[in-house]
Amino acid sequence: MSKPFLHMKKINKSFNGVSVLMNVSLEVEPGEIHALLGENGAGKSTLMNILGGVFRPDEGTILIHGKAVNLFNPKASQDHGIRFIHQELNVVPDLRVYENMFLGLELRNKLGIVKVEEMCRKTSDILMKLGVDIDPKEYVRNLDTSYKQLIEIAKALLHQSRLIIMDEPTTALAEHEVERLFSLMKSLKESGVSFIYISHKLNEIKQICDSYTVLRDGELVGTGQIQHETLENITTMMVGKTISEERIVHDNNFGKVVLEVRDLTCKGLFHSINFQVKRGEIVGFTGLSGDGRTELFETLFGYRKKYTGEIKVDAKNVQLNHPQMAVKSGIGLVPKNRKENAIIKDLSVMHNMTLSSIGNVEAYGFIRENREKGKFLHYKDLLNIKVHNPNITIDKLSGGNQQKVVIAKWLEVNTNILIFDNPTQGIDVGAKLEIYHHIVSLARQGKGIIILSSEAPEILKICHHIYVMFQGEIVANLNGHQATEDEIMGYATGSIKGGEKDAYQTKT
Amino acid sequence: MLTKPKLEENKQDSSTSKWKQRFNWLWSEYSVIIAFLIIFIAASIISPRFLDLNNQMNILMQVSIIGIISLGMTVVMLSGGIDLSVGSVLALVGVLTVIALNASGSIFVALLTACAVGVLAGMLNGLMVAKGKIASFIATLGMMAAARSIALYISSGGSISSEVAGFTSIANSELWIIDYPIIIFIVMTAMVYVLMHKTRFGRYVYALGSNEKAALLSAIPVDRVKIGVYTLAGLLVSVGAIIETSRLNSISSASSGMQYELDAIAAVIIGGTRMTGGRGKIIGTFFGVLILGILNNMMNLMNVSPHLQGFVKGLIIIVAVVFQKRE
Repeated sequence: MSKPFLHMKKINKSFNGVSVLMNVSLEVEPGEIHALLGENGAGKSTLMNILGGVFRPDEGTILIHGKAVNLFNPKASQDHGIRFIHQELNVVPDLRVYENMFLGLELRNKLGIVKVEEMCRKTSDILMKLGVDIDPKEYVRNLDTSYKQLIEIAKALLHQSRLIIMDEPTTALAEHEVERLFSLMKSLKESGVSFIYISHKLNEIKQICDSYTVLRDGELVGTGQIQHETLENITTMMVGKTISEERIVHDNNFGKVVLEVRDLTCKGLFHSINFQVKRGEIVGFTGLSGDGRTELFETLFGYRKKYTGEIKVDAKNVQLNHPQMAVKSGIGLVPKNRKENAIIKDLSVMHNMTLSSIGNVEAYGFIRENREKGKFLHYKDLLNIKVHNPNITIDKLSGGNQQKVVIAKWLEVNTNILIFDNPTQGIDVGAKLEIYHHIVSLARQGKGIIILSSEAPEILKICHHIYVMFQGEIVANLNGHQATEDEIMGYATGSIKGGEKDAYQTKT
Repeated sequence: MLTKPKLEENKQDSSTSKWKQRFNWLWSEYSVIIAFLIIFIAASIISPRFLDLNNQMNILMQVSIIGIISLGMTVVMLSGGIDLSVGSVLALVGVLTVIALNASGSIFVALLTACAVGVLAGMLNGLMVAKGKIASFIATLGMMAAARSIALYISSGGSISSEVAGFTSIANSELWIIDYPIIIFIVMTAMVYVLMHKTRFGRYVYALGSNEKAALLSAIPVDRVKIGVYTLAGLLVSVGAIIETSRLNSISSASSGMQYELDAIAAVIIGGTRMTGGRGKIIGTFFGVLILGILNNMMNLMNVSPHLQGFVKGLIIIVAVVFQKRE
């Protein structure tokens, strides 16, 4: 057999005396898609940052085509044909497509003037090869997220990369966009480009990857061909224990209707939305990205002011045009995109936790630190948040723990209705399950719970009722026990149409 | 028996790394205080007159007005904004205060006028930023031009003096050897410190400056906090204006408060507050003000040409920012 394209040998790395990687090796053959798996904090990012030239390994060698190389900075890594596509895409929204493609490597004539037409032509060529039709002169800000990702891949091809590292590329993508990405990856694979693919979504891995490497706590726990392994085995390797795929939903003991929405419309985003949530019920909303569900619930949380229609909380009409009013009426929201919408990264863990309920830790208008500390300790134990020092800033925590802090924040506000938008975004398998259990126990306490997610399995796992949205409308209302993933996808993509299927209405 | 020495070794190891950690923390949190100490020690070595108690009091006296304004500026900058109007508003407050004083003959009425004018100007800034969604730089730039212009118009471009005896004693009296303005500055610092660290207003300002959208989605009344921030800055400008006017017993509509915004911003930046908001400390600003004061004082003691003083100040600001922990 020929030599592997990339061979990382016995890599060691530690930060401040804490070992992050211990004797980790990784081999990638040319033209293969290699899954790099592990929970958050397993060392995947560190390993990839070493490969990308961001960090230097303490020990170990990196061989490319059997030759030892020194990747001392990202540029050196790129020169060896390695391209790192980060989870947060590095495209400049205010530049045009071709300008992004050639950013830093603009083609210029002798006078130093950029050759616009040539760059556009080359951009078109590559995009054509990828089978997409985008005007090279379009501004990137006007494109969908999946196209932005495409531009990153196109950029990698333009610079003749042989190995593309993709860190959770599908988190921001809708189902059909994922399909597009996968077919693209497959055709690139044919032409000999290798991928290292990092993701928490195991069925995707099964679908697209050829081989895998699993890391746990900085150590290599397994590597091999993906077809020889079951998903359960891989999950067990990742977490060190088995996780069931069963539904974790409690009995249907619902109370009164706590939230009722009638004819809610916001021009251009969603229209004629009707639904209700009872105490103790978990209601799921799903669909493709751009279906309007996030905007709908931002409206219900008072973030968007212009809407028509009726919102009733506990059978009382409410007018919601500021999040404060939503909270007063008893609605809480754990938003999606934690980093932008939920955490205040300069504030400490404790201060993030009490931010929405400072009244509970105040006395005579002053914040009492001991009360605040008490709340912190309470939620730390309740939600099993892995943090010792309440005063470190929240950005030092892993994604799962950050999310738990955000959930703690809303538990302390203690609203009767709690909306979770993509509650397990970028969270490892173990923490995901913990969060599901907390959500279920909240419902058991009699809260009305709404979950928004683009992942149908997640919705199916914990919801009593499922609403599917398509282009700003509710197109299906399904019973959580009977619905199937295929059915949901059918409605979400608009391939099943016609009258609204109303399992819920007929039942009650 | 064999394991025991090994354990102790580990302990020692972790304790030295703890010290190292602690030092790093100390440096990142309090670099401005360390810088202050270095400058203070250097100054006392260079000039023997520097440590003289009168000179020390002189420095504090000279920085007190800028210091009080800088406190407000810190709060504004922590919220992610900036207030360029402080110098002009100081002149406007001063002019209206003297007019009210001379018209009514009552110091109380004068003080009330001062506070009202500052609060109003600040609130207007806040409304423009919060409700009008105008960038703070632009909104306060407008206020800066407008307030100065009104001050000039009212006093026909000149200065006006107070005709009420007793008004000067506000800024020209002393408690034992400490001048009133110094006391006011220190009291104000303590009050703003408590406001920023022990009340929800302060917490909200930090949250807003760090991530406005997340703050709003945490059900914080973002607009009201913003208006509060600029209003507080305006109120502190009023206090500064009262001291300035009382000290000279007059106010010049053309030159009073000139470039105070720059000195205040410089003090805040030297004090370690981040330009984009969300991170910074009142104590940092306090020492930032003192550093600027010592530099001015030293240059006077060493007979540095006044024309060169701006250069040195500029240099120090840039050096200070370079040395601060970068993210």
